[in-house]
Amino acid sequence: MMAWVVAAPLLSAILTVAFRNLEARRRARVIFAGIAALMPLSLVGNVDGLSFTFAVVVSALSFLATVFSTRTFSSDWGGEGAIWSRKWVYFVLLGAFWSAMLLVVLTNNFATLWLGISATTLATAFLVGFSGEASALEAAWKYLMLCSVGIGFALLGIVALAHVAIAAGIDPRFATSWTAIAAHAPSDPPGLARLATVLMLVGFATKAGLVPMHTWLPDAHSKAPAPISALLSGVLVSCALYAIMRTLEVGSALGVSSLLHALLLWLGAASIIVAGGLMLAQRDLKRLLAYSTVEHAGIVALALGFGGPLGALAALLHVVGHAFAKSAAFFAAGMIQRDCETTTLGRLRGLWQLGSPGRLLLAALIALAGMPPFGLFVSELLVVFAGIAAHQWLPLGIGLVGIALAFTAISRNAIEIESGMPGANEARLATRRSFVAIGAMAAALVAALSIGVVPWTALGGSLQKTAATIDSSR
Amino acid sequence: MTLTLVILVVGAVLLMNGRTVGVLVAYVVLAMTLSAFDLTAALASPATFALFALATVLKVVLAPLGILLFVRVNPAAADLRPSLPMAARLLLVIAFALLAEAATQLPALASVVAHADLAAFVILCGVGMLMIFRNLLAQMIGLLVLGIGIGFAGSMLAPGLPESIELGATFDALVATFIGLALVRAMVVHDPLLDVETLRRLRG
Repeated sequence: MMAWVVAAPLLSAILTVAFRNLEARRRARVIFAGIAALMPLSLVGNVDGLSFTFAVVVSALSFLATVFSTRTFSSDWGGEGAIWSRKWVYFVLLGAFWSAMLLVVLTNNFATLWLGISATTLATAFLVGFSGEASALEAAWKYLMLCSVGIGFALLGIVALAHVAIAAGIDPRFATSWTAIAAHAPSDPPGLARLATVLMLVGFATKAGLVPMHTWLPDAHSKAPAPISALLSGVLVSCALYAIMRTLEVGSALGVSSLLHALLLWLGAASIIVAGGLMLAQRDLKRLLAYSTVEHAGIVALALGFGGPLGALAALLHVVGHAFAKSAAFFAAGMIQRDCETTTLGRLRGLWQLGSPGRLLLAALIALAGMPPFGLFVSELLVVFAGIAAHQWLPLGIGLVGIALAFTAISRNAIEIESGMPGANEARLATRRSFVAIGAMAAALVAALSIGVVPWTALGGSLQKTAATIDSSR
Repeated sequence: MTLTLVILVVGAVLLMNGRTVGVLVAYVVLAMTLSAFDLTAALASPATFALFALATVLKVVLAPLGILLFVRVNPAAADLRPSLPMAARLLLVIAFALLAEAATQLPALASVVAHADLAAFVILCGVGMLMIFRNLLAQMIGLLVLGIGIGFAGSMLAPGLPESIELGATFDALVATFIGLALVRAMVVHDPLLDVETLRRLRG
């Protein structure tokens, strides 16, 4: 069953190509994607809570991105002459991307997880360079090279971990399974276990865009078509953070979690402060959102670095809340880019007066700034509590300064683009609106809002149990 | 001893030669040498051998052939444009060899596996290629070298692991190569020399 769940998005994207009539193809695309998005629900009880949570997030947002792309697909996205800049190729690559992300979150061993992460790079390299513009090609190249090198080192860590597992008496066939390693972890882990988990952490952190391995992220996320930016920022980064959570889980079992905690603390704090500072200097909406992704990935890393069930819960809530809020923001940015023909911050004005896209963008920016009532406010509060509980004052202080900088950057730009009188380009937003695309944005925002109340619902208990499996070392 | 010498010479050529064809020949020699090292383990079963053969063909034949064909069509891209002078590159090779030797003295790696120094040297050469050449093709070959270095380390660290992992890693490097070639083909319009500095300026 799990194989079908993973393969369904890619198969449905390929099947859709068979439809000759364009309108029938559009409808089939949405229906097939809807079925593929519901399939992970059949895995309740067959996978653990962490995998299930991420599978639901991946599928929900990939479905919304497919719907959004179907309704707003712009011919401007594709470049002339490039073989990959065709509509059907775009949707097949999107399906492959979705399947690869499901493979990452549904497997139970690092070898397959690595293959999935690697496949996401390959599926999305063309999507980043989809426009065929020189700057997009440069971004795609950097993305391909840096991420391939990063996950190469993660692979080195995985085989070193397998060496440790085999030496501990685990059957080589299960040497990369985190459940097997956790169950048969050696009581006195060798130094190689430290090296292995550090290599894995650094490799996956490259894919998550943590500083100093973040340089590919702002270019790739800002140059891709908006729905792909939404998935890259909202979901792919989450998948990389999921891989880090699994690494931490194994690190805890092997007794090397203190080293991983320290590394995560400083990677997280550095990401927040660097991204927060750079956000103040951004003059492009999509680049601002991309740097905000680095900041939020840093917050998750910081929460994981603080450790314990509280830190893990904060990290989990933050990943989910950020995924939905960031996707909504990129969807809105995509509509603005299509209709206003710019995402330059100094040239956008009066979006509030133009109805839903501008207002939904404002709501998404409020969520990303960590303001109530959105879920990110609750998760950031939990991160602070986790930091206080862990007595990690310096990283917490650095993180808070970075969050304040990011807050300032987002608020300042939100006021600038929403206020004033709209120009002629902006006015097109009011006339060319797509209700399906707006629905996709609104759905993502409702989810981002709902995450804030989860800890106080019945779902909160199971989420806490899930978080406890990530890190029970403190 | 012979293996060490071959890998040292190949590593030196990879970092010091400035032409695509010369570097590709060094890469093929390296890939064949390290694949031959795995041959004994691959003969364990027909399935293992089939996967080994497939992985070897992918990395030894298809990847270099793709790059070679590209260079024939775009001869201006044949110069790998090293950003360091020859003497500095020679020093880098020596530094990498010493670093690789020192890596085996690390408590984490001490007496773990044989040839850890060679694997570390190949990995460092791959990283070095990514850093010191300004031509995008050199970065691609560097990625391939890094991939086979990691594969070599993997085959020594965990020889009992399924062969599919090595195949997956090889397949990944190969697909990255061809995606890279497709991107490079689109970029050669903007800069026939494929200079990374020119590419950065395209960012605007």
